[in-house]
Amino acid sequence: MGNKQTIFTDEQLDAYQDCTFFTRKEILRLHSRYHELAPHLVPMDYTNEPDCKLPLALIVDMPELKENPFRNRIVESFSEDGMGNLSFNEFVDMFSVLSEMAPRELKAIYAFKIYDYNVDNYLCKEDLEKTLNKLTKEELTPEEVELVCEKAIEEADLDGDNKLSYADFENMITRAPDFLSTFHIRI
Amino acid sequence: MTSYSNGGVFNPAYHDSETLEIDRRSSRKHQHTNPYARVDPAQWGHNVEPGDNGEWGAAGDGWTRRENVPMGLISTRLGSPPLQQNPNNTSQIDPDSQYDRLPPVQLHSSISGNMTMRWRGVTMRRMSMFPNADPAHAAFTEDAIKSEMENEEQNLIKELVALSTTEQIRKIRELPVSFEEKKHVRTQVTAFKSSGQYHHFTSLTDFSQNMSLSMRRFGYSIKSARQTLQLWQGIMKEIGGKFGSSVLNYFVLLKWLLLFNIFSFLVNFGFITIPLLVYDLSLNVSPNVSFRGLELLTGAGYFNYTIMYYGSYSNETIRGLLDYDMQLAYFFTISVYMVLCGLVLIFSMASSFKKNYALADPASNSAWQLLCSWDFSITNEKAVNQRKNNLRIQLKESLSEKAHRERQTTSEQLKQYGIYFGSWLLSTGLAAGCGASIFYLCHYEDERVEDTETWSALKEAETLLVPFVVSLMNMVIPLFFSLFNKFEQYSSQRKQIYALLFRNVLLRISILGVLCYYWMNTVPQKFTCWEPMVGQALYRLVIVDFIFLMLGSLFGEFLSNVIGTKIQPRLGVPEFDVARNVLEIIYAQTLAWIGIYFSPLLPVIQILKFFILFYLKKVSLTHNCQPPRRSGRAAQMKTIFIFLLFFPFFVGALSIVAYTSWRLTPSEQCGPFRGLNSTFSVTGEWIDHVNNNSSTHWVGWIYQNVIRSEIFYFLSTLIILVIIYIFWQLIQGRKQLIVLLRRQIINEGKDKSFLLEKLQNLQKSCPEVNKKHKKRTTHTSRRSAERSSGSQSNSNAMVQVLLARQQLEEEERRRASGVSVPSDISTSDAVTQAMLARQKAERQDENVYEITDGHPPSLDAVAQSLAARQRAEDRDEYWSTTHFNQSNPV
Repeated sequence: MGNKQTIFTDEQLDAYQDCTFFTRKEILRLHSRYHELAPHLVPMDYTNEPDCKLPLALIVDMPELKENPFRNRIVESFSEDGMGNLSFNEFVDMFSVLSEMAPRELKAIYAFKIYDYNVDNYLCKEDLEKTLNKLTKEELTPEEVELVCEKAIEEADLDGDNKLSYADFENMITRAPDFLSTFHIRI
Repeated sequence: MTSYSNGGVFNPAYHDSETLEIDRRSSRKHQHTNPYARVDPAQWGHNVEPGDNGEWGAAGDGWTRRENVPMGLISTRLGSPPLQQNPNNTSQIDPDSQYDRLPPVQLHSSISGNMTMRWRGVTMRRMSMFPNADPAHAAFTEDAIKSEMENEEQNLIKELVALSTTEQIRKIRELPVSFEEKKHVRTQVTAFKSSGQYHHFTSLTDFSQNMSLSMRRFGYSIKSARQTLQLWQGIMKEIGGKFGSSVLNYFVLLKWLLLFNIFSFLVNFGFITIPLLVYDLSLNVSPNVSFRGLELLTGAGYFNYTIMYYGSYSNETIRGLLDYDMQLAYFFTISVYMVLCGLVLIFSMASSFKKNYALADPASNSAWQLLCSWDFSITNEKAVNQRKNNLRIQLKESLSEKAHRERQTTSEQLKQYGIYFGSWLLSTGLAAGCGASIFYLCHYEDERVEDTETWSALKEAETLLVPFVVSLMNMVIPLFFSLFNKFEQYSSQRKQIYALLFRNVLLRISILGVLCYYWMNTVPQKFTCWEPMVGQALYRLVIVDFIFLMLGSLFGEFLSNVIGTKIQPRLGVPEFDVARNVLEIIYAQTLAWIGIYFSPLLPVIQILKFFILFYLKKVSLTHNCQPPRRSGRAAQMKTIFIFLLFFPFFVGALSIVAYTSWRLTPSEQCGPFRGLNSTFSVTGEWIDHVNNNSSTHWVGWIYQNVIRSEIFYFLSTLIILVIIYIFWQLIQGRKQLIVLLRRQIINEGKDKSFLLEKLQNLQKSCPEVNKKHKKRTTHTSRRSAERSSGSQSNSNAMVQVLLARQQLEEEERRRASGVSVPSDISTSDAVTQAMLARQKAERQDENVYEITDGHPPSLDAVAQSLAARQRAEDRDEYWSTTHFNQSNPV
C-alpha cells in the first residue's frame, strides 16, 4: 500500500475512478505499464501531474497493441494532437474505452474514429478499403476489395449517400452484438 | 457538412411515425441536440408535447431560447404558439439518437454538451466549423465558439448537479471526451455543489458529500477486491489473446459453472453435512466392508456408508442450542439451491438475450465482417495472421457464394433436400437407438444385480459398464454427426452449427431420459434403500465422463495434432470445437444437478472435475489446437449456450428432482425422509407443527391458501399468460416501429440529397451577390450568436448555419420583396396552410396517441397536409429553397 501514495494522491485516484472504468488497482497497473514503456521518461511520481508524453512508436509496441492491425489508428484517435503522442491520462482513456465496462455507445464513437482514416467524419469507400486491406494482409485483388466495400456500404448505408455516417455506423453496431466483446482489450 | 432533413411536413413517413412514442422522444431531443431545429418550421408543429416529459427536469430553459431564434420566418411563426407551453427540458438522453451523426473530435478545453448525445451534437457542430472556416469569419467564429463552450459547460454542469451522485459519475464516465475534460467537469460539479448554489444547508451538504465520497471509495475498494479474487484472469487473457473471444467463451462458461458448483458445495456442506457431522461423527460402516480403492471409480461399497450419499443422512432433529430438523434442512437446502440456480440462469439468459439477440441482424454480413468482426483482444502474432487469412477466405467465399446460389438448379436443390432429410433421419435414429440400447443394457444389468453388501470387486467393476457405454456413445456418436454435417451444405455457417448442436443435444437428452426413467421406475422397486443407488450411478457417470473428457482431449486432440502435423499435413492442426466442448461441460453439469438430491456432496467431485478440466483444456488448446476457422458470432453462440444450459438440461434436471421429491416414496430404511410418503410431505408436517403455535398461525394459512391451493396457481398462471400476451404485443409494436424508423431514415436521406442539390444549384446561380453581402451577413450572424449565447441550445452551429444561409436568404428576401411580391405572398400562404394542416394532424395524433401507442395517424389530416405541401411545392419552388436555407446548413 505504501508505494501507492507515492504515485498518485488519493484525490487523483478518486478522480481516475470517477472518470474512467478502472479501479484503483488497475490505474496503478496501467501506470506501471506506462512507466515500463519508457522508464527514463515517465516519472514514478505523478502527484504533481507531470507533463509527459510518449510517442506513438513506443505505445504501439505494447504486447496488447503490437499485433493489432489498427494499432496506429487506435493510438492516434486517443491522442490529443492526433499524431499519436499519448500522455498518461490519454493512455488511461484509451484503455478505459477499450475495457469491458465501457458502454457500447462510447465504444462505438471511438471505433468510428479509428476506422475514419481521413478524419472527414464519414466512413467512405477509401476508409473501408484501408480497413479491409489491414484485415486481410492486402491479399485480395483490388476488384474484390472494391466489391466487398461496396457491399458493406450498401448494407449499412441507410440514408443513401454512399458513405457511412456515424448514424449508419451506430445502427450497424447495435445490430452486431459481438462488437462489445470484440472491441475490448484486456490490460 | 451536416444537414438535417426538414422533411417533417413533406415526408409522409414522418407523419406515420409521429404517433409513436420513440419518435416523440427523438423529436424532442431534436430540439436540444440539433441547433437547426429551431428554424425548422416542421419542428414548430411538433412542439405540442405531452406534459410528462419532465423526467429529467433539470434547468429547463427549453422554450425561452425559442425567443432568441434569430432567423425565424415570420410567416411560419404564426403556427408556433403552442411552443410557449412546452415544458421542455434540457437533459434528454437517448442513446439511439439518429440525428447526431458525427462523433466528437477532441478539442481541448471544450467541455460541452450534456451527456454523450448532446456532446456529440456539439462537437459535431464545432468541428464542422473549422474545416471550412472562412478567414473572414475566423475572429467571430472564435468568439462564438468560446461563448458557446462556456455556455454548454455551464449547462452540462447544471444538469449534472441535479442528478444523484451515482448517476453523475456514470454520466461523467460515459462522456466521450478525454480524461482531462472529464476531470474538469467533475471538479466543476463538485465546486458547484459545495458553493451552496445548489444546497442551502452547507453543513448538511458537506456531510452528505463526505458520506457519498466515502461510500464511493468503499464501493471501489470492494470492486478492487472482487477483481483480485477473480480466478484465472491471466489465463483468460492469454487464451483470449491467442484464440479470440469465441474460444474464450468456453472457458468463461467453464469458470461460471465451477462457481455454481462451489456455491452448491458450500450450501450443501454448510447446511446438511456439517450439522450431521457435529451431531454424529461415527460412520456406521458394516464390518465386512473395507476401502478397496475401486470405490473412487464406482462410488459403491465403502462410499455407500459415508456422507456422500443420501442414505447416510439422519432423519432426526438435532437437539442442541437450537433444534435442527435434518429433514427440513435437507429439503430446503436442495430446493433453495435449485431455485437459485434457476433464477441465476434465467437472469443471465435474459440479459444475454437482451444484449445479443434483441437487434441482431444477420443481413449486414459484409459490413459486419469489415467493421465489427475484428477481435481487438487478440495479441498473438500467429493468431492474428490466421485470423486475417480466415477473414480473407470468408470474404472470398461470400463473394462466390452469391454467384453459386444463383446458379443452383432445381435438381441440385432437390438433392440437397434429400441429403438434409437423410442426415436428419439418420441422426435422430442414432439418438433413439442409443437411448434404446441403454435401456436394454440397464435391464440386463438389473437382472444380474443382487444385494449390494456382498459385492465382490468384479461385481462392483461391472457396474461401470453402463457409464462406460454412455460416455463412449457421447464421444463417438457426435463424430458421426460431424461427418453428416460435412455432407450437408447449409447456406449459412450458423445453420450448420445449430443443426449440429441440436443433434448432439438430442442424443444426450435421449440417453439421459432413458437413464432417468430407469432410475425413477425400476430402481425404487428393486432396492430397499434406493436413493444411494441412484447416487452411485450418477457418481459413476460423472467420473467416467470425466475420464472420457480427459482421454478425449489428450488423445483426440493430441493425436489429431500429431497426425495433422507429422503424418497427414493435409488435415492440418485440429480446430478447437467450441460447440462440442461446451455441450460436454453442459452435460457434465446436468449430471451434477440431477445428483444433488441423491448425493449432496457430488458438487465436490464436480469442482475437482471442472478445475482439472480447465487446466487440461488450456494445455491441450495451446499445444494441440488452432483457433476455429470460422469464428462466427461469438456473442450469439454464448447466448445459445446459456439457453441450452437452461432449457433442456437444467429444466430437465429440475423436473427430475421435483418428481422424485413429490411423487416417489423415499426408502424406508435409510435417508432423512424414511417413513414419509413423499419428500414433500415434510413441509406439511412442519406446517402442522408450526400451526400448533398460535402466534405463527399465518404460516399455516399461507401454506394452505397459497402453496397447496390450485386456485392460486390457476390465477397466477392466468395473470402471467395475460402479461406475456401484452408484452408480446408490445414487441410486435416495437418491431413495426423499427421498420418505420428505418424507413424514416431512408426518407430523410433522400430529402437531404435532394435539398443539397437544390442548394448547390442556387449557390451556382447567384455567387456574385453572395460576395457582396458577406460582410453584412457576418455582422448579423454575430449579433444572433451573441443573442443566443444565453441559452442552452443556441449553439455555435447556429452561427455556422447563418453564414451559409443568411447570405442567400436575405438576398433572396430582398429580391423577393422588391421584385416578386405576389409570389412571396402566395408562397407564405401555402406555407401557412401546410403548417395549419400539419398542426391539425398533430393535434389529432395527440389524441390518438393518448389512447394507443402506435396507432396510425389520422389520415385526412395527413392528406390535408400533404395536399398543402403539394400546393406549396407546385406554386413556387422558391419557397422550398428558402426554407431549406433556413433549416439545412451545409
